[in-house]
Amino acid sequence: MTLRYTYDLNYLIFKHMGMRVLRSLEVLKLGVVNYLDALKLQEKLVLDRKSHRICDTLLSLQHPPTYTVGKRQTVHNLLIPQSELEQIGAELHYTQRGGDITFHGPHQAILYPIISLRDMGIGARSYVEKMELTMIEMAAQYGVKACPGLAGETGVWVGERKIGAIGVRISNGITSHGLAFNIDPDLSYFRHIVPCGIADKEVTSLRRETDSVLPPEEIMQEQLVSCFARIFGYDNLIWKEDASVVTDGTE
Amino acid sequence: MALRLWASSTANVLKLSSAACRTHHLSSPFSLSRCFSTVLDGLKYANSHEWVKHEGSVATIGITDHAQDHLGEVVFVDLPEPGGSVKQGGSFGAVESVKATSDVNSPISGEIIEVNASLKETPGLINSSPYEGGWMIKVKPNSPAELDSLLGPKEYTKFCQEEDAAH
Repeated sequence: MTLRYTYDLNYLIFKHMGMRVLRSLEVLKLGVVNYLDALKLQEKLVLDRKSHRICDTLLSLQHPPTYTVGKRQTVHNLLIPQSELEQIGAELHYTQRGGDITFHGPHQAILYPIISLRDMGIGARSYVEKMELTMIEMAAQYGVKACPGLAGETGVWVGERKIGAIGVRISNGITSHGLAFNIDPDLSYFRHIVPCGIADKEVTSLRRETDSVLPPEEIMQEQLVSCFARIFGYDNLIWKEDASVVTDGTE
Repeated sequence: MALRLWASSTANVLKLSSAACRTHHLSSPFSLSRCFSTVLDGLKYANSHEWVKHEGSVATIGITDHAQDHLGEVVFVDLPEPGGSVKQGGSFGAVESVKATSDVNSPISGEIIEVNASLKETPGLINSSPYEGGWMIKVKPNSPAELDSLLGPKEYTKFCQEEDAAH
């Protein structure tokens, strides 16, 4: 406890003296990753971050068709029998994140930040607001005016249509899970759920909301990462492209 | 020279915390009360923002006003069953707010003797009454000396101010 107090005091002193502490973010570009593999990697990274073995880290990836429920296990919002999931080529997973049921799939950009909210000095509410802003800024780059949800409807909306979802877990001040931004996923998968437990609201994608030419998805994922870095104040980004890190140490 | 600089910086740091607060007032009228969250006397605090009230052989545990303010509206509380045990610094449950599930850690070790069943129907008690109606678990402490390693009200207040100023 004493050690941490000294660290924080020194941090404040350096900052006050105008010695800017560089905020680093390690970005792992993982391509398409199975949900459970990504979860195992996040669990490992959370432990590493908690023991200061790594700096703040961000996973940038996509999933094969996957439905997930949060800690409240609101599987009643899955509208087809679980036995039919295999037929439509999807998996279902129970998670410890906040939020209701959602769908992840190809052409949906996902960011999983593994960062220390304590080091950043923000709480859950502020973190989620910045995650919303990240997606709002991304949409704005394509001329799409998105906004945060009303109370109880966290996420990013274009009018009454949801373009981005958030579901986060915070353990000892370290985040996992994150956000999902619809570039151009197969929206028919959303018909099999009550998305995020909010009935009568549509799900949309960037492709649907803009006539702009969309660049290759890899570029768009990088843009999303840049929006995140800008909003969260990271000034040093370390990009890594290594899909093998997903299976290292998880066997 | 460096030493004097450091010393005056330290003095300014403590002023800096309240200066940051004042700027916060200007940018958002609603933050006036939020800047100084309630910290109660007679309680002990963990730096993960839980409080503990030790009365005889029973210790009541919950999360602080600072914590509930930073979480936002609590919509779900995950609590353990009575009869289980907790370890100091270990997680015993979670609260969900704004699509974020945050683990709650126990400031002390002991046996869980009661959990607050009202939180199932009314999780918002954690926001409206973090030190009274929003209590989470009652524990029979098995190491009373652990309380000495926790923060007192003044130390916890300072800790919160520094954490909020540190960005």
